[in-house]
This record gives sequence, C-alpha cells and structure tokens, in this order.
Amino acid sequence: MDNNAYQVYEDEIQALEEEIKLLTEKYEEIQQESTFFSEEEILKSIKSFQRETQGESRGHESPSDLKAQLESLETDLSFLMKLTGFQFTSHSKKTVERTRDRTVQKHRLSGKCHSLSFQLEFQLLEMQSKEKVSSVVTDLNIIMESGEDSGVSKFVSSVEERGDLLTFFRSLSTYAEWFEHRRRTFLHFK
Amino acid sequence: FPGAGVLAQLEKLEARARREAVEQEEREQREERTALLRSRARELRLRRDELRRKLREKEGLRKAGTAADPAHPTPRDVLEWRIRSLRALLQLFHLTGISGKLSKRGVCLTLSTSYEGSHLDSFHLELLARPELRIQRHSIPPFIPLEQLSRRFLPTDLRRFLALLSQHLNAYVGRRFQAEQFQERFSDWIQGTPQRNSLCNLLKFSYSLSRNSRSFPLQARLLYRDPCRSLPTEVTVCCSGEWAPL
Repeated sequence: MDNNAYQVYEDEIQALEEEIKLLTEKYEEIQQESTFFSEEEILKSIKSFQRETQGESRGHESPSDLKAQLESLETDLSFLMKLTGFQFTSHSKKTVERTRDRTVQKHRLSGKCHSLSFQLEFQLLEMQSKEKVSSVVTDLNIIMESGEDSGVSKFVSSVEERGDLLTFFRSLSTYAEWFEHRRRTFLHFK
Repeated sequence: FPGAGVLAQLEKLEARARREAVEQEEREQREERTALLRSRARELRLRRDELRRKLREKEGLRKAGTAADPAHPTPRDVLEWRIRSLRALLQLFHLTGISGKLSKRGVCLTLSTSYEGSHLDSFHLELLARPELRIQRHSIPPFIPLEQLSRRFLPTDLRRFLALLSQHLNAYVGRRFQAEQFQERFSDWIQGTPQRNSLCNLLKFSYSLSRNSRSFPLQARLLYRDPCRSLPTEVTVCCSGEWAPL
C-alpha cells in the first residue's frame, strides 16, 4: 500500500527530472543559436580571459584549458577544410522537436567546395532506440551556383529527392576538384 | 506453578511492546521517507517551473527579434560559445563523409556512410604522418581492398585514397542495407533465408509467385560486379525445373 504511494512520488520525480533535462538543453540551445560574436570579440575575450582569471578555477575549466580546447578545435577544423576542400561560411541550426528518444533539427548551411558555392537546408532526425542512435536526412533543399549546367541540376534534383546529403557532398568534392583543375588549365592558356 | 501464568503474561506483554516499538520505528521511517520524496518533488517542480518561465521569456525575445541577453557576456561566455560553434561545425563534417581529428603523430579520420537519407556505419582510420603518411590502425572490414588502395595512392594522394575508399565503403554498406531491408520487408514473400557473402555483392534467395492457383517456386541471383556501386550488374532468375531466361 505504502509502496504505491512511494511509486507515485518516484514516478513524478523521474518525469520532472527528464523534463528539467529537456528544458535545460532547449534553453542552452536557444542561447547558443541566438548569440553571435565576431572574430574581434573572440580575440578580445581570449586576451582578457587570460588576464583576469590567473589561477582561478572555481569548478570551471581553467583559462589555459579553454584556450587549448579552442586552439585544438580550430586546427582540426582548418585541417579538414584543407583536406576536403569544404569551407562552411554560415551555419544555423534550430531544434524543431525534442523528446526523450527523438530529436529533429533544421539546419541551414552555406559554403563552398573549392570555388563552387552552395546553400542548403535540411532536417536531421535522430532517434534513440535500444543502444543505437540512427539519423535520417529529410526535406533536403540545395541551391548551387553553377545551376546553368543541366547535368548539375539533374544531379541536385535526384539527390534532393533521396535525401542523399552524403552523396551530394562526396560528388561535389570530386566535381569541384575537376572544375578547379579545368579552370586553372584554361587560365594557363589565356 | 502460579509463577508460570504470570511469566507467560509478562512475556506476552514484552512481545507486544517490542512489536509496537518496531511498528513505531517503521512508521517513522515511512513518514520520513515520504516527507523526503515530497520535498524533492516540490523542489524539482519549482526548478521546472522556473526553467519554463525562462524558456518562455527567451523564446519571446527571439520571436521579437531582439538581441540575446541584455546582460553583458563575460569573456568566458564568449569563448564557450565559440567552442560550441566550432564543435557544431566539426559535427557537420561528419555529414560530408570525412571528418577527423589531428593527433600528436598524425590524424584520426572517420569515414561515414549512408544509403539515401539514412546514416549507416562509420569507419575509422588512424594515420601516422612521419616519416611518411601511412595507416597505423583501422576498422575497415577485410573484404574492402584497403591494402591495394593505400599502396596505389598513399602517401602522395590522400584525397584520392579517401575518395575511393569512401566509395567502396558506401557501396558495401548500401548493398548490405538494401539486403537487410529486403529481408525485413518482404519476409512473407521470401522462402528460407537469403544468402549473401560478406562483401554483399552476391545475393541469392528463393521466393514463390502464385498465378491461377498455381505456385511457381523461383530463385533469384543478384551479382554486383562493381564494388563501388550499390546496384546489381547481373540478375538471373530461374524457376525450379524450368529455366526461363530473363
């Protein structure tokens, strides 16, 4: 009898803890997405951060840790951009739905691969089932600068239909390299 | 013995007192526990309500298009924001098929695969940079020609190497995924278990079709000669007893 009373409270506590977790994540996400700091502000912050918190920890990561993290992330990113030719010039994501085992995020991305620019938006659905996380791309929309090439626009339509973002990126990478090679060859002969 | 009756009575009273003491203790424990649970629930409810209020406020600000926080962000806030943005960009690279992280002696690359919109397996490659680019460790399955590709393209053309390796991996995973989906979705139609090899470029299965109350047992054999493609190059169907060219 009393076990039932406990169960009721324990169920409520668990539900509240889950809701708090979701709300916190949502809040932090909006905070992240609605903020923007320029390169200047970031550099300024790095300098003033080192100055003001010499030796202070208080449960946060130390200034040298944060700076090291920042530098490591920036070198990784610049390495990948050089290796793949992809440069992302702007990225925004918005969580459209978030429950315990399902998250849907809408992404807007623009960038270029070598000299070819693209803009795209898509929805990414992530589902947690048992121990696996599966993610699916839907509602893919791509705008490519070199849309005059009918081959390119056919490719883009077929990729959009299948939601095949990965093939788009891989093919774009190959095409852009070839395009770049051709462009340089023509310049050579001018 | 007159004493025996009294003793028995005393024992009974003792037992009862003990019982009551135990029950009292249990009751107090229950009450304490209930009080604890109740106060925890109340604390969480307050926190949840506060978060709901803050979230509503934030969403209101965002809809109105006003800038984020009127409060001034600290340098730490700025740096943490920047770290989170960079992490999000690195995550994006995962969607392009090649992502990774530099290490002290080289680089750890992750090749991701997908079939149409579904993201499937990821494979890892650890490369050493010195004295020249070479593979130290990897999680590529043995039936993918990793050795051949690395001999042909490394150490000079990492890009080509990765592009081709990615093609092989995506095609293999695509074929495997299709075979799995086929087995799942057409289970009533298929007879027995479809057979396939590790590279999933050979698929054999039996099924039957019914027409005019006659049933035709059929066997199909799909061959995928191009390891970089996830569509078959040859399909053969035969009916038991009767060979009907397709």
